[in-house]
Amino acid sequence: MLSRSAEGLYWMGRYLERAQHLSRLLRLQTEALVDRPVNEIHFGWLRMYGCLHRQPPVGSLELLAQDDYTLADSYTLADDLTFEPTNPDSVWSGISNGRENARHVRHCLSAGMWTCLNRTYLRVQGMTIQDIWASSPERFYADTVADIDTFAGVAAATMYRDEGWRFLNLGRAIERVQLSSALLHAQIVAAERTRDVSEAPWTGLLRLYHALEAYHRTYGLAVEPRRVLDLLATDARLPDSLARTLDTLSAELAGTAASPNDQAAGAAQRLMGRMSALVNYAWLDQDDPKALLQQLNERGRDLHDLLTESFFNYPVHDVPVR
Amino acid sequence: MDFSKYELDERIYDEMFHSDGTARAQYQGVHAAVTGTSAAGLGDIQDQVTGSFSSEGISFKVYGDEEGDERIIPVDCLPRVLSAGEWQELEAGLTQRLKALNLFLADVYGPARIVEDGVIPVDVVRGCPQYRIEMRGFQAPHGVWVAICGTDLVRTTEGFKVLEDNLRVPSGVAYMLANRKAVKASFRRLYRASRVQEIEHYGQVLRTTLEELSPAGTSDPTIVLLTPGVYNSAFYEHMFLASQIGAELVEGRDLLVDDGVVYMRTTAGLRRVDVVYRRIDDDFLDPVVFREDSLLGVPGIMHACKQGNVTLANAPGTGVADDKSVYAYVPDMIRYYLAEEPIIANVETNLCRNPDGLEYTLDNLANLVVKRVGESGGYGMLIGPHATPAERAEYAEQVRADPADFISQPVLALSRAPCLIDGHIEPRHVDLRPFVLHGRQTRIVPGAFCRVALRRGSLVVNSSQGGGGKDLWVLEN
Repeated sequence: MLSRSAEGLYWMGRYLERAQHLSRLLRLQTEALVDRPVNEIHFGWLRMYGCLHRQPPVGSLELLAQDDYTLADSYTLADDLTFEPTNPDSVWSGISNGRENARHVRHCLSAGMWTCLNRTYLRVQGMTIQDIWASSPERFYADTVADIDTFAGVAAATMYRDEGWRFLNLGRAIERVQLSSALLHAQIVAAERTRDVSEAPWTGLLRLYHALEAYHRTYGLAVEPRRVLDLLATDARLPDSLARTLDTLSAELAGTAASPNDQAAGAAQRLMGRMSALVNYAWLDQDDPKALLQQLNERGRDLHDLLTESFFNYPVHDVPVR
Repeated sequence: MDFSKYELDERIYDEMFHSDGTARAQYQGVHAAVTGTSAAGLGDIQDQVTGSFSSEGISFKVYGDEEGDERIIPVDCLPRVLSAGEWQELEAGLTQRLKALNLFLADVYGPARIVEDGVIPVDVVRGCPQYRIEMRGFQAPHGVWVAICGTDLVRTTEGFKVLEDNLRVPSGVAYMLANRKAVKASFRRLYRASRVQEIEHYGQVLRTTLEELSPAGTSDPTIVLLTPGVYNSAFYEHMFLASQIGAELVEGRDLLVDDGVVYMRTTAGLRRVDVVYRRIDDDFLDPVVFREDSLLGVPGIMHACKQGNVTLANAPGTGVADDKSVYAYVPDMIRYYLAEEPIIANVETNLCRNPDGLEYTLDNLANLVVKRVGESGGYGMLIGPHATPAERAEYAEQVRADPADFISQPVLALSRAPCLIDGHIEPRHVDLRPFVLHGRQTRIVPGAFCRVALRRGSLVVNSSQGGGGKDLWVLEN
């Protein structure tokens, strides 16, 4: 497959995964605005901005004693994360960049995939925070999540299982590893900084990853942070767990055609093995999950660089001709 | 829905009606269907057709329009209909014309007999900016310089005429296919009952044509479609055609030339390319030979082409044959190379490079269409009767400054076809662009991109100037 097409599919996967993940977080957060105490709402914003390594547009996120988090602040923050075009991580940026990549590689997609994605784009295009805020912002995020889920479903049902499929999945999986490891890390940091937080944010985290029922079945009704982290990191039966995502990544990488750049491809395989070992073995012995998540996140970035050198942007001298 | 507001004008050929107001034979089905459908029903059909374009993202780009970087070409839901007999005549005329044009190209880049024999003045050929001196002596595979041609045809009360030969990178075929898909789905019963000739195999025919032109010795050629990229106005079409013909859609940066051979960069290494269906202008094709500031092209691809290691379709340099001055000589070419009379006529053309033509043009500016030789897409032209005296005066200055850059033609009364406009059926001017493919033989799928000037009274059908599209049905015998 053409390197540029493979790269386009890879990035399409990454951007849509990003938009999807953030929409899920924002859905949870806007639901919390209705009935949760102020310190939990504060925790939610802290976690989101921490995960994105982004400075909020309203200055510090410190919660002062007399400072109530007003709805107006949430409005500004939600706008920044949803529609801000200069924020490369905003939901809008994810959808429009995903669609722009799809436009470049449309001939590699099934017709249904394109139509589905284009409809999502047309729905969100031109919307502003005012449009969604007055009635039910969580409805907008739920619709966006459903749209991207539908896209994934249509892709699974209709896309030809060629190299393009692999690179799309590589993009999705690598983005998910990055986002999940960053979010879990941000959750721990936020928990350290905020006091008197109930178990609600941890329950929220489980809901975010469709893991609440699985948790109750495994550990009972009491929600304990360390157990939540264990489940989300290591339970390979959970579709969004780190362990399962790394399995997907590993399988897709093993299935790609031989790269013209042996050196980078070999390094990518080895790095992949080390990332899997972090979650599948080191995690159980590790008392400091924060450090481990940080490590995983950094290796994910290195893996991206190695994939780029292996398949998209390899040196052309002494490359085999087919 | 009735045709009570439909105006007929005996100076203008109406596609649906005879001058006495009765429907033409090939239009009986459409006429009955429209008459038997309510205004609301037709409105629904129109919405359905428009909606399918929007959700499929069938768009084009308008230059000089920053906001609307992607626009949907408006499509009118009522098909234009041609009879089998009308089509057969067009087919014969188009085949004849492309045959002569290919012979002309081989000649002007070779022995130039046509110039020597005084049929075309040397300066008309050599003075043409599209004449590529680099192509002299080039032997196109099987003598085919133009493999894909999109000829613009108009109909007046005198019959069909060729308005323009597009021999470089003609576009619009994706709209031909998309219009058919959308309109067919909306007029299901009418379509089946009408027995319309199929056009859906265009991709296979194009693939066959390109395979036939692959370099000698390649049995299973690797074909790519070279696009300037996603910002090009016709990118949708490039993408669409690439998947139709099973070719990789490549940009210049995906290709490289090593030792006279073209390769593309794939995830598994470099792969040799045999045929390039290029949708990028000569100027940008190869920075080594043409514009050196081109970032879109492939350095060395011209060398590979001239060595016969890769086929470029169309060949570089074909622009000399669709130049607006050279156009005037196409009927002579047909007589010269084929010893036949042209089956489809030209539009009478005055070349401002000739003193007579210049004088006539300036004297009759109010009644003529004046075009710049080097422009296309409806840009840079003057429609005399629709221009203000000040605009005409200003334009006349430009013509005087560089006469060779202009030609003029009479304002043609383009035929009109019924369109659904604001809930009424009204006539609008139309043209058509069939696509002629030439490999070892000429093949034309029975259809065309039919363009409509949607603004009342407007004669400009170009998509970039407010034109729209229509499906064209060629009926079976």
